[in-house]
Amino acid sequence: MNMIETRNLTKSYGDFTAVSELSLHIPKGSVYGFLGPNGAGKSTTMKMFLGLTRPTSGTFKIDGKQYPKDRVAILKEIGSLIEAPAFYGNLTGEENLEIIRKILGLPKSAVDDALEMVGLMQFKKRLAKKYSLGMKQRLGLAGALLGQPPILILDEPTNGLDPVGIHEIRTLIRSLPQKFQCTVLVSSHLLSEIELMADEIGILNHGHLLFEGSLDQLKDGAARRGYPTENLEEMFLALIDEDNQRRGGQR
Amino acid sequence: MNFGIEWAKMKRSGFVPAFLAGGALGAFVPVIQMAVRSENDTGFLGKPLEILLEANWSMIAMLNVMLIVAGACMMYHIEYEERGIQKIRTLPTKEWHLTAGKFLILMIASFGALVLETVGLGGCGIYWFEISEDFFTELLKNMGYVMVLTLPTVIIMLMIASWFQNMWISLGIGVLCVFTATMRQTDNGLLSLFPFAMPFQTVYEANVNDLIAAAAEVIAFAMIGWGIEKIRKKTV
Ligand SMILES: Nc1ncnc2c1ncn2[C@@H]1O[C@H](COP(=O)(O)OP(=O)(O)OP(=O)(O)O)[C@@H](O)[C@H]1O
Ligand SMILES: [Mg+2]
Repeated sequence: MNMIETRNLTKSYGDFTAVSELSLHIPKGSVYGFLGPNGAGKSTTMKMFLGLTRPTSGTFKIDGKQYPKDRVAILKEIGSLIEAPAFYGNLTGEENLEIIRKILGLPKSAVDDALEMVGLMQFKKRLAKKYSLGMKQRLGLAGALLGQPPILILDEPTNGLDPVGIHEIRTLIRSLPQKFQCTVLVSSHLLSEIELMADEIGILNHGHLLFEGSLDQLKDGAARRGYPTENLEEMFLALIDEDNQRRGGQR
Repeated sequence: MNFGIEWAKMKRSGFVPAFLAGGALGAFVPVIQMAVRSENDTGFLGKPLEILLEANWSMIAMLNVMLIVAGACMMYHIEYEERGIQKIRTLPTKEWHLTAGKFLILMIASFGALVLETVGLGGCGIYWFEISEDFFTELLKNMGYVMVLTLPTVIIMLMIASWFQNMWISLGIGVLCVFTATMRQTDNGLLSLFPFAMPFQTVYEANVNDLIAAAAEVIAFAMIGWGIEKIRKKTV
């Protein structure tokens, strides 16, 4: 069963199409890696799921619910981190999470649970604007994880983290479906990163879906078409490059 | 609507100190004015409150609308500075809960300043004038009138502050509106319906029609704001 499903989802800004006829299938209980270069349309797609931006055409269903009719019901099930973390700089990390907790109507203990999970416990009394880049990212993640929502949408969650932090957060994301029975949609620029976390992969370029399936299917397909498969990054670059050529050499 | 959440957001933003300081300053306006020129004013004929308001109200009112302008800007600055509002928009809540909470807080804060100023005027009356019984009823009536007349400014300034992510633009528009309002003294016609000019009226100038006009403006602005929010949602 698919937790998130889109049909010909399209978003245009004027005559520029950021997301084009996207049909995604994100299985329940999986980590779905959403891969693509800068400007591919990853954040735009995620923003549509959250109602932050409105689709130009096409539809999507989340847990069987339809947007925009069931917007609030959909948002009840999603924890999200989109682009740079969004927070209140004049509040501490803990107070920021407290705001979200109150809106979600969760028990008080939820805040500490989330802080613990992202390793921010000892800094919870510090003002969020005084957080380092990585700490802000962790705060954003804690806001997404708050109350263990059945769906997580994480846009480049390892952005700004140090190598140890990256490893820690990847491990956390990998473990989420077993721990909380949730579905995770996570975006990244790196196939090597997605490989470590994801069960399913969707590759996006210039708003078009180039591939959807498991890593093995991706490797098989690539081998058949004569791409380098020993090095994942090279394979990904070759795939994107070929698509760019097909689009008339534009980047 | 969630008052508690909006209130919690205002921590350390300087909002409460600004209104306390502004209200205290407003309370001292008549005190200073009386201390400086008491011989002249107490000699005037007329009701003590009328004399006090005549001499001080335009200054106090200007302070109050400036406070509302600054307060509204502060409220939305904390939303836009680190994009806190975007996080809220991804949560299962409706935008009007946030707007209504902010309206209530800004309303209460500006009422608080008005209470302080009323205390200041009352003190001046007791200290410098021979006051009759109706001094305090009229003083309270004045406060009640101005509270109602303040509401259109509160709502429209919140709307302005919510439209511009750059606080300086909202602040600039607000200050311009306040200066436009101060021109009311020379023109008592249409400009007295201008939201920012309404609180400049005292109980001796305003009548029930002005209160009705203020209430109508609040309803009209709320509807316009609601419509604009609908459009914003459709165009993002
Ligand atoms: N509000 C907007 N108006 C116009 N164009 C926009 C707007 N938002 C996004 N775009 C364009 O849509 C395209 C996709 O942007 P998006 O942020 O979804 O990319 P992305 O895949 O998340 O990239 P990155 O990896 O850099 O985060 C880009 O070309 C971007 O410039
Ligand atoms: Mg992005």
